[in-house]
Order: sequence, then C-alpha cells, then structure tokens
Amino acid sequence: MIGSFRKKSLLAASAVIAASALALTAIPAQASRVGVTKTSIKLGITVPLTGPASPGYAKVAPAMKAYFEYVNANGGVNGRKINLIIKDDKYLPQEAVNRTNELILRDKVFAIVGALGTANNLAVNSKVRLGARGVPTLFVNTGFSGFANKRKFPTLFPLFPSYAMEAKVMGTYIKENFAGKKLGLIVQNDDFGQDALKGFATAGVKFDETIKYVSGTQSATTATTWIQKLAAARVEVVYLFGVSTATAAALAVAAQAGYRPQWILGSVGGDATTIRTATAVPVAVLNGALGASFMPDAADTADEYVKFFREINNEYNKGVDFDNNVLAGMNGGMMVAQALKAAGPKPTRKKLIAAIENRGASFASAGLAPLAFSRTSRVGYTGYWIGKYNATGAIIPVEAKNVIYTTDSGNGPVVKGTSKRPALPTKGLPE
Amino acid sequence: MQQLINTLLIGVSIGSIYALMALALVLVWRSTRVVNFAQAGQAILSTYIAWEVVNRSGSFLMAFILAVAIGGLIGGLVESGLMRVLLKHANEGPVAAVAPVIATLGLLAVIRAVVGLIWTNEGKRFESPVSTAGFVIGDATLPFSRLNLLIIVTAAVVMIIFSIIFQKTNLGLALRAAAYNPEIARLSGVRVATTRTIGWIFAGAAGAVAGILVSPNDSLTPNSLDTLLVFGFVAAVIGGLESLIGAVVGGLVLGVGLSFVLIYLGTSLIFPTTFVVLVLILLLKPAGLFGAKGARSA
Amino acid sequence: MHSPKFLKNPNRRRLLFFIFLGWLLLLIGDRVDELRVYQGALIAIYTLAIGSVILLTGYSGQLSIGHGAFMAVGAYAAALTQIYFSPPIIITFLAAVIITAIFGALLGGGAARLSGPYLAGTTLALALGLPTLANQFEFLGGETGLSFDVGFPPERYGFDFTLYKWFFWIAALATLIMFWVMQNILKSRYGRAWKAGRSNQAAAELLGIHVGRRKVLAFTVSAGVAGLAGALLGMISIVSPSAFPLSLSFAIITGAVLAGLTSLAGSILGGLTLVIIPEIAEAISKNVSESEAVSANVPGLITGVLLILTVLFAPNGPAEQWHHHKEKKKLKAKSKGS
Repeated sequence: MIGSFRKKSLLAASAVIAASALALTAIPAQASRVGVTKTSIKLGITVPLTGPASPGYAKVAPAMKAYFEYVNANGGVNGRKINLIIKDDKYLPQEAVNRTNELILRDKVFAIVGALGTANNLAVNSKVRLGARGVPTLFVNTGFSGFANKRKFPTLFPLFPSYAMEAKVMGTYIKENFAGKKLGLIVQNDDFGQDALKGFATAGVKFDETIKYVSGTQSATTATTWIQKLAAARVEVVYLFGVSTATAAALAVAAQAGYRPQWILGSVGGDATTIRTATAVPVAVLNGALGASFMPDAADTADEYVKFFREINNEYNKGVDFDNNVLAGMNGGMMVAQALKAAGPKPTRKKLIAAIENRGASFASAGLAPLAFSRTSRVGYTGYWIGKYNATGAIIPVEAKNVIYTTDSGNGPVVKGTSKRPALPTKGLPE
Repeated sequence: MQQLINTLLIGVSIGSIYALMALALVLVWRSTRVVNFAQAGQAILSTYIAWEVVNRSGSFLMAFILAVAIGGLIGGLVESGLMRVLLKHANEGPVAAVAPVIATLGLLAVIRAVVGLIWTNEGKRFESPVSTAGFVIGDATLPFSRLNLLIIVTAAVVMIIFSIIFQKTNLGLALRAAAYNPEIARLSGVRVATTRTIGWIFAGAAGAVAGILVSPNDSLTPNSLDTLLVFGFVAAVIGGLESLIGAVVGGLVLGVGLSFVLIYLGTSLIFPTTFVVLVLILLLKPAGLFGAKGARSA
Repeated sequence: MHSPKFLKNPNRRRLLFFIFLGWLLLLIGDRVDELRVYQGALIAIYTLAIGSVILLTGYSGQLSIGHGAFMAVGAYAAALTQIYFSPPIIITFLAAVIITAIFGALLGGGAARLSGPYLAGTTLALALGLPTLANQFEFLGGETGLSFDVGFPPERYGFDFTLYKWFFWIAALATLIMFWVMQNILKSRYGRAWKAGRSNQAAAELLGIHVGRRKVLAFTVSAGVAGLAGALLGMISIVSPSAFPLSLSFAIITGAVLAGLTSLAGSILGGLTLVIIPEIAEAISKNVSESEAVSANVPGLITGVLLILTVLFAPNGPAEQWHHHKEKKKLKAKSKGS
C-alpha cells in the first residue's frame, strides 16, 4: 500500500506543478485591437520553408517581408511599421494548424497574410476557425475556388484566380488548338487538383491519361512512374497541374527518358527558376511549353511593377534570385499594405475587411487580370493570359500581354478582353 | 516486357541499398543483440559530410572514402562510448531490457538535431557523380541510368569485401564465433569486446555507403534516411536478422518487390505492402529465410 | 488521521481523488489565457497517450515505438463515425476506443509472439506505414485528411467560452476517466498478472499465468487508450497522415521513458515535458538567434539528450530513481542506527 500512496502523492505533486506552471504564465485578457500599437502592426504568414514543396515557395514570405521593410523605411502605413512573422509549415496541413495557433495565440498577430497551400488553408480554417475568431486572412497564396465563399470563410480573401478558372481558360485553348491529340494530365490528389478537374470538366476537355499524385510524394522515383505511363500511352500533350517540385521532377525525368510531348505548365508549378534549381532540368526543355499566367513574367523587365520589385529585391532581399515566387510575395505585400492603409488611422479587424470589400477592386497590383472584390464577392483576379516559354524560361505572350481571358469558377463563359491595370503608385507605396 | 526488365533493374538497384542498410543492422545485432535505430542517424551524418566534401572539392570519390571512414568511426564511438556503458546496466530493473533500443532512439534524435543545426533542415541537392539519364538502346530510353549501375556495382563490391573478411580471415572467424556463442568464443581466446567494437565499425561503414548511394539526385534532409532504416530493418528480418547473406537477399527481394508495387500499383501502397510483408514473414516464417529457428519468440 | 468510513475503501478514495483533480483542472482552465488552455489540452492528450505506452511497456514489458499508429486508427475511427453517423460526441469517442482496441487485439495476437527488437521494429514499420493508407482510399481523405468536428461549446456556457477551452474540458475529462479505468485495471488480477509476466516470464508460467493471453490483453487495452488519445488529438487538430508522423510515436515513447516506464502516475510529467520542450526551444531561438534551424532542431536535441541520460542514469524513470535513492538512504540510516 505504501507504493500506491507514493504514486498518488507523486500524481498530486505533478498536478500542483502543472497548475502552477499554467497559472504563473497566465496573461491578462486580450486587448480589443490585437497586434496593433501606435507604432506597429503585427502580421503572420505560414509557408513551407523546408520539406519537399519548399524549393521556390520558401521565397514567398521573405519577399513579402522585404517589401514591408521598404514600406517601413518610408514611414510605414499610417505611421505604423509592419512586422511580419514567418512560420514554417512544411506544406503539411497539421503543421499549418499548429503554426497558425502560435501566430494567433502566442504572437497575437492582427491578421494572417499570404498563407500558402489549399489543404493548409482549409485545415487552418476548419480548426483554428479564423472566421469565427474574426481574424482577417488576406490574399492567401492558393487558387482554390472554394475560398471565395464568404459565408464559409467570412474573413478570408483569396487573390489568385481559381484553379477552376485556369482549367477553363486553358481547357478552351486546348480544345481549339489540340483537337484529336492524345491528352495527359498530372494533378495533385487533393482539393487543389479537384478544383482543376472541375474546371476541365466545365470546359469539356477529356484527358486520355490522368495521373493523380499525393502531395509530398513527388520525387524522381515517382516521376519515373508517371512518365513511363504517359510515354507508354503515347500521350502527345501533357498538362502539369502540380506544385513546382512535381512539375520539375516530371520534366527532369522526361528529359532523361527522351520523352518530348507538348508541355503545358500550370500557373502553380510553372516557375522557371524553381524548376531550374530544384532539379537538373536544362531550361531548354521548357522551350515551347505553354502556360497560363495572371501576372507579368518575372523576367519581363519592361513591366513597371516587375522593374520596381526587382529594385526592392536588390536592396531589401539581397542575394535572392528574382523569380515569380518573389514577384508573388511582393505583390501580395503591396496588396496588404494598401488594405491596411484603406482601413484608416485606427484599424480594427472589421475595418480591414470592410476596406477590402469596398475598395479592394481598385488596389494597384502587378496582376494583369481585373480584381473582383466587392461587398458580395470574394473573388480576386478573374482571368489569365496565355503564353509560351522561350529558351531562357521566360513566358512570352502568345498574342499580347494585355490580352486577358476572364471567366468565373462556375459555368460562366470564357471572355477575351484587354487588361486595364492601375499604374504603379508613386514610389510603389500605398496611397 | 521492356517495362518488366526496367522494373527488375530499378528494383535491384534500390534493393542493393536496402541490403547495405540491412547488413549494418545485422552486424550490430550479431555483435550486441541490439537493433540500432541510430543507424539512420549515423548514416545521415556521414552523408552530410560527404555532401560538404562534394560541394567543396567536387570529388565524389574522396567524399565517398571519407564518408565511409567517418561512418565506421562513428559506429566505433557509439559502441565504446554509449553501448558499452549501457549494457553493463542491462540486467538491472524490469525495463532495462528495452533500454538499449531506447538509447539508440535518443541518439537518432540527437544526431538529426545536430545535423539540422549545422546544415539547416532545408533540402540539399546531392549532385550525382554520374549521369542520371537512362541508357539508350535503339530508339528506346531505359529509366535505368549510370547512377543505378554505379549503385549496384558499389554495393556488390562492398558485399564481396565483407564476405572475404568474414569467410577468409581470422578476424572474420573471431567475429562469427563471437556472434554464434560469446562465452565459448571467449574461452577459446577471442577478445569479445574488441570484436563487438569491430562489428559496430563495419556496420557504421556499411550504413554510410547506403546513405551516400541513396542520396544523389534526391533531396537530402536530416530525416531523409528514416524510410531507408525501416526498409533495411524489414530486409534484415526477411533474411533472419542473424544472417549476413540473408540481409543481402532480403534487401534485394524487398527492393524488387517494392519496385513492382511502385510501377504497377502506385506509390501510396509502398509502406502498407512493406508492413504486410513484415507481418507475414514474422507470422509464417519467424526465423526468416536464413535465420536460426526459435530465435525471436519470447 | 481519522478518515470517515466512506474513505476507508481505496477504490472510493481513488475516485474522489480523480474528481478533485478534475475540479482543480477546470478551475485552472478558467484562469489562464487561450494559448495555455490549448497547451493544457495537448498535455492531457499526451499524458493519455504516454499512459497507454506505459501500460504496455512498463507493465507488460512489450516495447512499442509505434503508438502513433494506434492514435491514427482512433482518430480516423472517430472522424468517420462522426461524419457518417454523427452520434452524440461521447458515443463517437467510445467508438474510437472500441475500434482501436479491436485493432490492437488483432495486432497483439501476432505481436505477442514477438520479443523486444522484433516487436519494436514491427511497430515502427506500422507507424510509418499505416497513415499512408489514407492516400490509397478516397474515403480517408488523402493528405488533406478528414475534419473531426465536435462542434461548438454549448451556448449555456456563455459567449466567453472559447473553442479551445471546450477542447480542454473534453480532453482533460476523457483523460481523467481513462486513467481512473486504467488504475482499476492495474489493481485487478489482470494488472498483477502483467507485472508478473514482465519480471519473470518463466516463473509466471509456473504460477499458471498464461503470459501470451495476458500480453494480447495488454495490447488491446493499450491500443484502446491510445485510440482515445488519437481521437482527442484529431479533435483539436486535423485527421490526416501528417498529423501522425513517426515523430509523434517517438515523442510518445520519449515521454513515457522520461516519465518512468513503470509508473502510470508519472505520465503527466511526460506530457508536461513534451509541451514544455518546444517552449524552451522557442525561447532559446528568440533570445539566441532568430533562426528557423534552431527552433526546429533544439526540441529534438533536448529530447534525445534527455532520453539517453534517462536510460543511462535512471532507466526506470526519474521518479522511481528518486524513490530508490531515498530507500537506500533509509536503509543506510537504519543500518547505522542498529
């Protein structure tokens, strides 16, 4: 009986330790304006800094931070400096939930900005319940069409046109230009891929071979199996609708195996710099591949936004190769800064959301497709231009850069139009 | 038919890496009766060192030799610094029997963390020393590349060296005797403690070879050898955990089997298949293909 | 001390103690901020998972380093039950326990024949292999996983009652009840039989204890408890393969070793340690260097070093060691006195 008594006293002792550990660290209740002081605003972002999806995507958050540092050096937004806290989610939904909890509960950020990945954002919103907490989740780095559902995600704003839109635009192009050819598709087996499949179905494109891969399994070994299947089925046109590392692996293996179909690269995984660095793909492999984009190409130095962001990259993000990931990060940062500015001198979370609903559609950004934010719509960019990769990996418009195909994520038609992008604001600062 | 041969060749290439890892685990098991989970950690450390050498000198051969030497050294250090102390206490207390295994888990965590602190967790590209482009026969390109060939040849050479040591030298005789029955070996003048250390050194070297062969053309991270550890363990169990030849055969069987699963069934069935194979072997042929009977039931 | 008659019965005393503990936890839950409440829920869940490992390894001598697999089974069982039948939440958790226990019984049937390294390796392969099955079958939701939603807290608790506090209540209550059940099992003749089998199998067989059957039973109970821990973890995070990585299994066995494998009561020490270690790492990386590599790797370093030190110097856990030390001192004092 002595043993049992000892164990109980140990248990009691542990309970007391636990109690005091919890009690000692107690913090007074939250202030009404979380993360905002007179001189600063705290924001948080989760992205893969390590893990199989990290090459390329790891650049997004530091690029955004670099733009904020430029803004801070020029007086900040309404006199407040922006402090961006970056957390590594390894592109795993579970990690994203944990890291976002840290951002919300420990760091007490004002808003989440630019969080990356469809599955991650879905997991975060179902578990951390950013909507119920009223935490603004701005300009997530994913094109999943479901995020535009305001009732389900009351505080979330997507920025990218949806994968369904891309699939519809490119599906229409494929039907017009590759009729009668054998078509193949490599797609990620999650909601990101589902969204694309929905879009292709709406556009009426049928693929002869569809390969679904599981996120995180992309490697040279698995890509070998994809390419073997496609080559065996003599597929002539292959759409790579996966993340950068999957796209790169497929291209590398195909190059080694001497398999040369007409490639179409999805906007998610089509960044030439990432493909070049992730594997030993000779860039020439990209030559002639088709792609869709809503942004100017990172290599298009004639574009005023690209030129401006390249200057910031040289000064505030030293040693980093400027590519589409850096461009996306800085562009997201510019949108965030304008939203904060529009939320007024005494920003609250509600004011921030209202500011984007009321004025978001007219924010200046590098994107060539029009923005569709309104009180009733959470849709960001609404279209794409179609381009062809050249031998250096840059995308050159098939028609002209300002020819934009706009559409929606549902059954709406694909409409050809021209881009009316706002000019770069003075010094690239929020106005 | 072509696909069949491709699958077989890829399987042999990956299987020979599993065989090396299995060999490492078996060598330690024979000498110390411990399944060394830190083997993956020891191998990742030597592989990162190899990566650093390749990056600085550009010489894969130098990196290889250095990594194998360091791998052996780490093995020896772990045995003499940690395991020897631990096994002295092995008979104390009710859970002491599992203590060495837990210690190897701890060591795995420590090595991984140290590697992560030195080289960060970001994936490193380990450049392949030879072309990874498939051989071309006629107008067909095989997925089997010079790298695969290098892997098979290197693994075969290592295994031949081991078999010469074990079959033809006095050292090999002593190692076999100590593994078979330490008491009798001691009585016949074998220095059992020394043979134990040597077993760990050999194991460390074999693990280092496995690590450096599996890494080229893929991303190297502090965790990237975890799966190799599991496949190596399963291969060792298929072979009977006692037998060096068994480890090699087990590795090749598993490699080829998984290669077929990968090509014909899909990637997500790799681990479930491995587990089913492990369970089936343990239930139907508990002593493995080459092991002594009654070795593993409690 | 004169205790009332009611308290003379050790079972009743135990029950009362657990009720008191629960009350204390609820009080704490009301007085700390949301991050601590969230961590409190995690501590409860880890404590439960560690308890399940201790039950198996400490009391019946079988080393499992793949308990994350059982947790995954429990989490998926709970999520699927909730999605397809949406019964009251308590039924969902019960279903998770029962399904995982059945799974454990099946596995235990095979595993009972395995000794140390084989069992360890097999459970390791299980922990690595099982979660990937989710990518094979559509209804398991792939890498995105399933959402196991226990709903919002009842409205009568008021507007200030946050979701995480609700999670904490559920997790703490489930853990307390389960520990009470486990304590009672260990005090029964089954529990005593496990211990007998652990310390000397041959002797136990001689006494007529069927060690094999007892081992399967230990596996079953341990799996059921781990399944509940998994379901609770699924409740506060998500149910996906990435939620049950190998590192979770390693963390649980680490917690169990640090807690001292032989005492169930030490579990909470293990649970606390697992939550505190990343906090320490965070503090270090904030003060020393703002580097991702530091905050990502220091927890592994600390746990690894603690594991090795524990095994070297206190193989049966710090608590047991301390007790042992005291007994020795007492013995010394006695021998001096006489």
